Amino acid sequence: MEFSESAEHQMLRRAVGDLTAKYGHEYFLERARSGGKTTELWNELGRNGFLGVGLPEEYGGGGGGISELAVVCEEVAAQGCPLLLILVSAAICAEVITRFGNEDQKRAWLPGLARGDKMVFAITEPDAGSNSHKVATTATRDGDVYRLRGTKTYISGVDEADRMLVVTRTGVDEITGHAQLSLFVVDTDAPRLERTLIPTEITAPERQFQLFFEDVEVPADRLVGEEGAGLRQVFFGLNPERITGACISTGIGRYALAKAAAYARERSVWGVPIGTHQGVSHPLATAKIELELARLMTTKAAWLHDHDADRNVAGEAANMAKYAAAEAGLHCLDAAIQTHGGNGMASEYGLADLWGLARLLRIAPVSREMVLNFVAQQTLGLPKSY
Amino acid sequence: MNVVVCVKQIPDPATPGELDASTKTLRRSGSIILDDSDAYGVEMGLQLADKAGGGEVILVSMAPNNENKGLRTALAMGAAKALLISDEALAGSDALSTAKVLAKAIERADADLILTATESTDGYTGTIPAQVAELLGLPMVTFAKHIEVDGDRVKVQRQTEAGYDEVESPLPAVVSVTAGVVEPRYPSFKGIMAAKGKPVDELKVADLGLDAGQVGWAGARQEIADVSAAEERKAGEIVEDEGDGAERIVAFLEQLKVI
Ligand SMILES: Cc1cc2nc3c(=O)[nH]c(=O)nc-3n(C[C@H](O)[C@H](O)[C@H](O)COP(=O)(O)OP(=O)(O)OC[C@H]3O[C@@H](n4cnc5c(N)ncnc54)[C@H](O)[C@@H]3O)c2cc1C
Ligand SMILES: Cc1cc2nc3c(=O)[nH]c(=O)nc-3n(C[C@H](O)[C@H](O)[C@H](O)COP(=O)(O)OP(=O)(O)OC[C@H]3O[C@@H](n4cnc5c(N)ncnc54)[C@H](O)[C@@H]3O)c2cc1C
Repeated sequence: MEFSESAEHQMLRRAVGDLTAKYGHEYFLERARSGGKTTELWNELGRNGFLGVGLPEEYGGGGGGISELAVVCEEVAAQGCPLLLILVSAAICAEVITRFGNEDQKRAWLPGLARGDKMVFAITEPDAGSNSHKVATTATRDGDVYRLRGTKTYISGVDEADRMLVVTRTGVDEITGHAQLSLFVVDTDAPRLERTLIPTEITAPERQFQLFFEDVEVPADRLVGEEGAGLRQVFFGLNPERITGACISTGIGRYALAKAAAYARERSVWGVPIGTHQGVSHPLATAKIELELARLMTTKAAWLHDHDADRNVAGEAANMAKYAAAEAGLHCLDAAIQTHGGNGMASEYGLADLWGLARLLRIAPVSREMVLNFVAQQTLGLPKSY
Repeated sequence: MNVVVCVKQIPDPATPGELDASTKTLRRSGSIILDDSDAYGVEMGLQLADKAGGGEVILVSMAPNNENKGLRTALAMGAAKALLISDEALAGSDALSTAKVLAKAIERADADLILTATESTDGYTGTIPAQVAELLGLPMVTFAKHIEVDGDRVKVQRQTEAGYDEVESPLPAVVSVTAGVVEPRYPSFKGIMAAKGKPVDELKVADLGLDAGQVGWAGARQEIADVSAAEERKAGEIVEDEGDGAERIVAFLEQLKVI
């Protein structure tokens, strides 16, 4: 067993950290507040191959895995620029297409994804969030095309991406009554695809949309993988999503704790730095311990995924990492805000604005409750209530 | 065209530095990185070799404990190989001893051009480049903000306080570069993986034909007599504007003789 970080990962971390530090949290915040995008940062990460680290070399990627993408994702967030689209574009979409796309599809989309083209991911529906079996958006074969009808909701980044991977229903399992799902790559500007913005209280450059597929024609060669096997295929993409989601949380945690520790060393209220008061230092130390435990599980989950461990084993670790990281990230941010006193709420200190995003990660991409259900049922073998 | 780039590996400036109380020198343990100042030379070397349509960038570094992390970063950027000089006998080396070691190592590399930074981030005496050039008997151009190679000559725009001078020198030559010379690339992940397999030749003082007495504590002509803390910056003066704010600021600037 090897627990020290490899020289290669350290170097990757430094390169990504240095690149992102040029932009920093102020840049992120300015874009988020003005409705702008972090295009320059995203493109520079793409140009340097950091968004494609996990893709195979033959398709223009770095030849690494989710372990490397996790390093990139965390480091970017730790510099105050958490990028949600890494989860969907570089993690889920790239993974699903690499594993299940045919050769033509891989040639068509992976080199772009490796450079930093964006592909977003649409599974959630108004009546199918936690419960993917209820996906109701249908895809019906009609000659050379499929016709998509239905509504998706909370889809991030549709306004920044050229394409999206859409989860649809193409049939029903006669025995279970569950939807048989199929995946399609759909152009975001396809005719009869409408979208409306969903305003949220998250300070981030990505926007969420409700999408209306009103008989959207998708060429049959846009079907990824096997018709009806979509759910199983999506599950492969969900591990990378959970792992990179965890990395956004741990990155925010690192960012917040670094600020808090610096502040607690300098700020003095009673003639000594506030960091000497255990009421201040212990919550920071507690949060740090939670953070490092979450990072350890995240690294393990990425390793298991990359080494093709039994999917249930990797899935269990990815779920646990996602849970622990979301909690740790929030605790770090909370302790950092408290350490700053009133300044914790000041825009200038760049902490409170991250609350919405850190809090989101307890809900999405998979909610805390659904992770606990997974562990209760899959790991502990407890009976289901639903 | 082969370009040798001298790269210093230094303790990460982001982590608080520590002095060894007995030797009054910087503790060189903990996280060691490629000096940022040297990333410019590496990038310049890579671009020049690329433009010349052949040849490679060879790194030369002297560092304690066979430290090679910083070299790996420069190899990941694209340098072909490295010479690393590391020897117990080098402990306590002053700038001139360092220059002797670097010069001997450079001689082994058959270089058309030798690049260094203007000064290192941790030691910043800025004396090494000229010492190396002198020891090698080569021409030296300092403060390069732009470099072009034309056949067997190098054309340099040399930064001055007023602007820049245009300087030409025959090759081989030693050129020290400023941070303005090029924008260094980030090591890509492919570069990082490729660096794993690139050769780092580890050399001892004896391999260079140097006598241990010429380097290290034994050979040092420089001695650190005392180390004291830098003076703390004084608190600024706050001028309350009571209608005479502008005048008081002007008076202050006059007193500094800046207007
Ligand atoms: C900012 C943002 C960005 C998003 N981006 C995307 C995106 O890009 N693509 C995409 O497809 N989706 C996206 N989502 C959707 C997100 O994945 C869902 O919101 C999330 O999966 C939860 O689903 P839901 O909102 O329908 O909650 P519901 O399923 O309605 O759940 C409501 C609550 O009930 C709990 N609950 C449900 N079932 C159980 C149970 N069996 N046991 C215990 N508790 C239960 C849930 O945990 C939750 O707390 C995004 C959401 C947000 C807010
Ligand atoms: C008292 C004392 C003890 C020392 N002990 C040690 C020791 O134990 N081990 C040890 O390795 N060094 C030791 N040094 C050497 C020291 O770290 C520097 O390498 C040397 O003094 C150069 O000084 P500088 O950093 O000011 O160089 P500058 O002249 O500011 O450097 C200019 C440029 O020269 C090049 N350069 C400088 N140093 C190196 C290098 N080492 N390798 C490659 N390129 C370089 C870089 O391009 C650099 O940017 C010691 C120095 C002193 C004064």
